[in-house]
Amino acid sequence: MHLSSALQLCLLASALPAHAATSWGFSDATVSVQTKGAGVGAGLKEQIDSSKPLANPVSLGDADTLKLTLTAEEGNTAKRPHQAFLLLKDGSGLDISFPLSVKDNGKARLELTQKDLPLQFLAASEPIDANLVIGSFGSAGAYNGPAFQLAVERNADEPLPSSTAERYGQLPEIHHIFRSDARSPPVVITLAFVAMALASLPVLAGLWLFLGANLNHLPAAFKTAPIPHAVFVGALVALEGIFFLYYTSWNLFQMLPPALAVGAVAFVSGSRALSEVQGRRLAGLR
Amino acid sequence: MRWFLSFLFLSFLAVVHALSSTGNRLLVILEDETEKSLYSTFWSDLEGRGYTLSFESPKSEQLSLFQHGARAYDHLLVFPPKSKGFGPSLTPKAVLDFMNKEGNVLLALSGKSSTPSAISSLLIELDLHLSSDRSAFVVDHFNYDTVSASEKHDVLVVPRPGPLRPDTKAYFSGEGVLAMPRAVPQTLGSDSPLVAPVLRAPVTAYSYNPKDDSGSMEEVYATGSQLALVSTMQSRNSARFTVLGSVESLEDKWFSATVKTPSDEEQTQTVNREFAKQLTAWTFKETGVLKVGKIEHYLAEDPADLNPQIYRIKNDIVFNMEVSEYEYDGYVPFELPSEDALQLEFSMLSPFHRLALQPTRKTDNSTVYSAAFTTPDQHGIFSFRVDYKRPFLTNVEEKHEVTVRHFAHDEYPRSWEISGGWVWIAGLWAVIGGFIAFVLVWLYSEPPSAKTKKTQ
Repeated sequence: MHLSSALQLCLLASALPAHAATSWGFSDATVSVQTKGAGVGAGLKEQIDSSKPLANPVSLGDADTLKLTLTAEEGNTAKRPHQAFLLLKDGSGLDISFPLSVKDNGKARLELTQKDLPLQFLAASEPIDANLVIGSFGSAGAYNGPAFQLAVERNADEPLPSSTAERYGQLPEIHHIFRSDARSPPVVITLAFVAMALASLPVLAGLWLFLGANLNHLPAAFKTAPIPHAVFVGALVALEGIFFLYYTSWNLFQMLPPALAVGAVAFVSGSRALSEVQGRRLAGLR
Repeated sequence: MRWFLSFLFLSFLAVVHALSSTGNRLLVILEDETEKSLYSTFWSDLEGRGYTLSFESPKSEQLSLFQHGARAYDHLLVFPPKSKGFGPSLTPKAVLDFMNKEGNVLLALSGKSSTPSAISSLLIELDLHLSSDRSAFVVDHFNYDTVSASEKHDVLVVPRPGPLRPDTKAYFSGEGVLAMPRAVPQTLGSDSPLVAPVLRAPVTAYSYNPKDDSGSMEEVYATGSQLALVSTMQSRNSARFTVLGSVESLEDKWFSATVKTPSDEEQTQTVNREFAKQLTAWTFKETGVLKVGKIEHYLAEDPADLNPQIYRIKNDIVFNMEVSEYEYDGYVPFELPSEDALQLEFSMLSPFHRLALQPTRKTDNSTVYSAAFTTPDQHGIFSFRVDYKRPFLTNVEEKHEVTVRHFAHDEYPRSWEISGGWVWIAGLWAVIGGFIAFVLVWLYSEPPSAKTKKTQ
């Protein structure tokens, strides 16, 4: 019986083109997850069919061990393949394969824990695709099919060691944050206070008039010493005018010479004018 | 006379065809002279692109990479040795010295013979790693050539690679498949930003030593796309080092071979020749070489005054930079990959601004990138810095210092422009007015009346 089927296979192989002879596959594949400390047979255990993958993702916690066993077959004969890998892939194009330890009769097994997985898979939010890859040299076609999805369950409180490897690339943009500009109060309030400041002048004038201030001696003063009084008062007003120009446009060197000149004029004319004032006091007029 | 003219013209043509941006002296280290004929198309392609090829055996006495302390060659192409090493003139240190002097190296490996430890130790210096099993090569039971390796599966058929990342330029991409016979796999150190894979093995590939006859792979060195068939390293001085896993892929036989994978319907022609051109062109600096042209910065309101030494805080500045890229026979305008950015930093100790430079104008052979920004409100010695380092591109590092000063005393707004100051100004003039009024009253006022004086 065995011999005749082998003979048939040989005949088939010689009749068909080389690559279509046989192909690799597997049978009796089971995946189980055992939690450390839990009893035997406690965790998940499922059969894998080579035609379609498991519907639900297999979850792997940090104390769990995933066990995969299968029997590799070439055609329908159990045989030892050169390559029997569990291939894990994520969406970003990262892949890693874990070789199954295979016996001569094709029985293969693999134990996988979270320690074996690369960091990127531990951080993955989506389940990882797990494929079974079985192949060998020669003409038999290799098998690469999805087996299940692996969901890595992590304790969210334990931080992952971050990978800080430097890669050349674009860096985040930086825009300087300027200090805020100096601000003024609303103009209405400012104007109210300006009005108050300027109102002090009429208040002062009104108060003086109420107390009897007057300019009655002005004609007499100008009659006695017209030039000193005119020049003195004019010099005082001119000095304020010079200060105004200094405030708006002049610099110190433009301001000092006229200020000194006007000051000298005020000193000379002021002494004459004040002599006249003294004369009025001595005459008992003030 | 005519022959002389045509000779002149031909030599001129040769100069025009001297393509590399750095030089055309190429030293080929080939141990076995008889193997030279296997690669005749490759040699003629290189010579056609303007390289002067010198063939030397690694055992040759007069072989030296340096002459009078300077590089004797611009580029080095090393074929795998038959013997255990390369001899005294090609020690790892000599090759690294050659790279320190900006020489470029293309190292080809072969899975037919075991790789000498001198090569592994050279590659470790560059953070490229070979399998400790030194005669290992890559096999894949899914992507092999059924025509030439139906039994051993050691001729990999892989598509030409795309860009490494979305933000890098694709210098090795294109249509078609490559045949990689008996490629020695490399793995790349993860810490170095200087190394980059060019061609990765397919996900189902693995590294295998034919002498190890255990019947099944139980311990693997690395698998799938972690194995690089072709990998590169570009040092900080932009010297380039490329490892080609399969020297056989350069043979005439594979330049024009037809291959077929198990899943293919029909045979296809390999594009090894085109890929060899891309790979040698990149390694010998015919592609991916950046040059910075004119750099200008100026006040936005005064473009005529270029590159002043000093700016004020809160000035609006425009920064322009011309960048060209060498592409096979000349400089062309540099274009950024879609997801990348050329970034300008305005920094004092640390960057205050880091802005993407935008392409604004193109000249015949350069693109002008520019950015406009306001200087920070901090005085000091600042610098415009462009530090553009990317895989496969030569490094661009530009630093231009400028002083940023305070407002001068006459650049502040005048007090009457500040509405909050009006109250104080009004108060001042009220005092001045009051003073003049007081002087007048004091000088010319008559005492209020004699009566009131008497009653006092």
